[in-house]
Amino acid sequence: MAKNKTLKSLTATSNIENQNKIAYLFILPWMLGFLVFVVYPFFQTIYNTAFQITREANTLVYTYNLNVTGGNFGTAFRNLYFFPELIDFVIMEATYVPTIIIVGFILAILLNTGVKGQSVFRVIYFLPVIIMSGPVTGILRWNGAGSLLDYESNIVFKMILSYSPGLAEALSGLFSNFTMVLWFTGIPVILFLNALQKINVNLYEAAKIDGANGWQILWKIKVPIVKPTAFVTAIFTIVQLGTFALNPVYYTIQNSIYTSAAGIGLASTFAFIYTIVVFALVGIAYLLLGRPEKIKQVTLSSIQRLNMENIAKRRLKQKNREVVVK
Amino acid sequence: MKTLLAKFGLIKSKTTTLSQNTKEYIRTHKTRITHIISQIVIYVFLITIAYVFLFPILKMISLSFMTSTDLVNPEVVWFPKVFSFSNFAVAWRVLNGSVSLVNSIQYSFLLAFFQTVISALTGFAFARYEFRGKKFLYTVLLLSFIIPVPILLITQYNMFNSLYQQFEWTGVGKGLNTYQSQLIMAFFGQGVNSAILIMIFVNFFKLIPNDLYEAGKIDGANPAQLFWHITIKLSLSTIVVVFLFSFVWNWNETYVTNMLVGDGVELFTNQLGKFDSLFGTRASDPARPDEGSGMQLVESYKMAATVISIIPLLLIYFVGQKSFVQGIEKTGITGE
Repeated sequence: MAKNKTLKSLTATSNIENQNKIAYLFILPWMLGFLVFVVYPFFQTIYNTAFQITREANTLVYTYNLNVTGGNFGTAFRNLYFFPELIDFVIMEATYVPTIIIVGFILAILLNTGVKGQSVFRVIYFLPVIIMSGPVTGILRWNGAGSLLDYESNIVFKMILSYSPGLAEALSGLFSNFTMVLWFTGIPVILFLNALQKINVNLYEAAKIDGANGWQILWKIKVPIVKPTAFVTAIFTIVQLGTFALNPVYYTIQNSIYTSAAGIGLASTFAFIYTIVVFALVGIAYLLLGRPEKIKQVTLSSIQRLNMENIAKRRLKQKNREVVVK
Repeated sequence: MKTLLAKFGLIKSKTTTLSQNTKEYIRTHKTRITHIISQIVIYVFLITIAYVFLFPILKMISLSFMTSTDLVNPEVVWFPKVFSFSNFAVAWRVLNGSVSLVNSIQYSFLLAFFQTVISALTGFAFARYEFRGKKFLYTVLLLSFIIPVPILLITQYNMFNSLYQQFEWTGVGKGLNTYQSQLIMAFFGQGVNSAILIMIFVNFFKLIPNDLYEAGKIDGANPAQLFWHITIKLSLSTIVVVFLFSFVWNWNETYVTNMLVGDGVELFTNQLGKFDSLFGTRASDPARPDEGSGMQLVESYKMAATVISIIPLLLIYFVGQKSFVQGIEKTGITGE
């Protein structure tokens, strides 16, 4: 027995030493790839922003140009297309992401009420995730299949338009592509549904004992618990909308790589500014949703009460049984 | 005896507390009615949303069968008067279907294969081993998901460009017109959404009980054997999930492909993207060249091409539909 124990501890220590190296062996391809294809390009592209880069005889020639006129950044600010497109992109994110999260959450709650055919609805809501590629969405949008409602003749819309054209424009961007917006809720619905199904049923019962109605349960229990999921969903959606092939910024960046006058330096600057905007959006999402909320102490204490009641009930039953036996 | 007693009890309760019982009856009835109403509201809402989801797809399918006269006919909304299958023949020619289909499948399959293998290896290291810098690397992996593609792609493009020039004389590298570059990146774990794929594996591998590995070690298995005989053989369903996701995402990915492959390889996605410009040269039937000379590009052809290009994905989805949903649940990225 004692011999076995020492043997085990010996092998355990030797394993820990080995494990380090072996883990690195497993992770090696990814780590190399990460250094070569993510870390290096990331900093190289930022470095590029300070130069005018031209291609001469298939080699890249770097000329430092961060001078009084602002170099690439100045050119980027003066570019006719880039900043309007960037603003469009930010408006798109600011309107789409909240809509997608809210619609996804509502759908998940409705699916979680135990409706029949839940799996059928899930299949339909998830379908766009599979077929959504740049050209397909492009063609469907071009065809007008993305818009359902004749919102422009709506009186409410006309009122908003007369008061604030900017807001009206953002709204029309949302409604004219409402189907496409919905198409992004495929993954959020699944994530929210998964999170909702994990909520302990005792919490609801405890809340009901405290006299909470369905509405209060939604706001005081479901929303706080699902908040971390909403954060993950927000990040996922921000990234998804960014890689969305119809993102106009992407094509401006791509096209400026090939134009000889602007070249890679300007393209890098565009990409750098765009990246900062995306990081800022993720930061905003973190500030709004990232920090977990505590569920009200009251419900927690009533869970304890419920548990105690259950224990008391069980004891009573046992006693009754004992009485019957006697 | 028992039934009699029960009956007696029932009658007794009815006679004594009749008014209370009717109240109870009314109350339960009321809640039942509100329940039914709320159910109906929920179903109407869910079905409406489902309709909105499917609307573009249904519209696309409907349009893809229409002739040019049906298109302008205001009476025809959903069902064309004549189902025209020739749209699909034209679309198939414009997409260069027989070539694009094989290319698309080959391309997605190879990339998905590499991505799955490397993601499994990386996921195994994160799930099974403690090593220095593990937490840091895992955080970095998650953060890499939010780095926008363009900032990496510019330098990646330059890197591959100069790499192929360096090796031009050997004749090994075929350069930027093949998907070699993407294969290399997939092999080093940097394909489309690789971070998510690795995360799926990490979360699943963590569920495999440690005792199995201990037993394997006692039997003298080395880490590679443990990986193959325990991890891989127990997680075949997860491997299928990851492979399918990777396949679909690679199939749909166009931005990186446009940069690194360009026109070199004909794929469904890039042919569809250039449908308008390809139409003029490819639309007419080579067997009957005279008929096609006056062909107009109408949206039916475009819709037919779109239908063709998503049919393989739809097939995959309806076969592996459960796997996809489970895969997203398995990522465990619900925030805990």
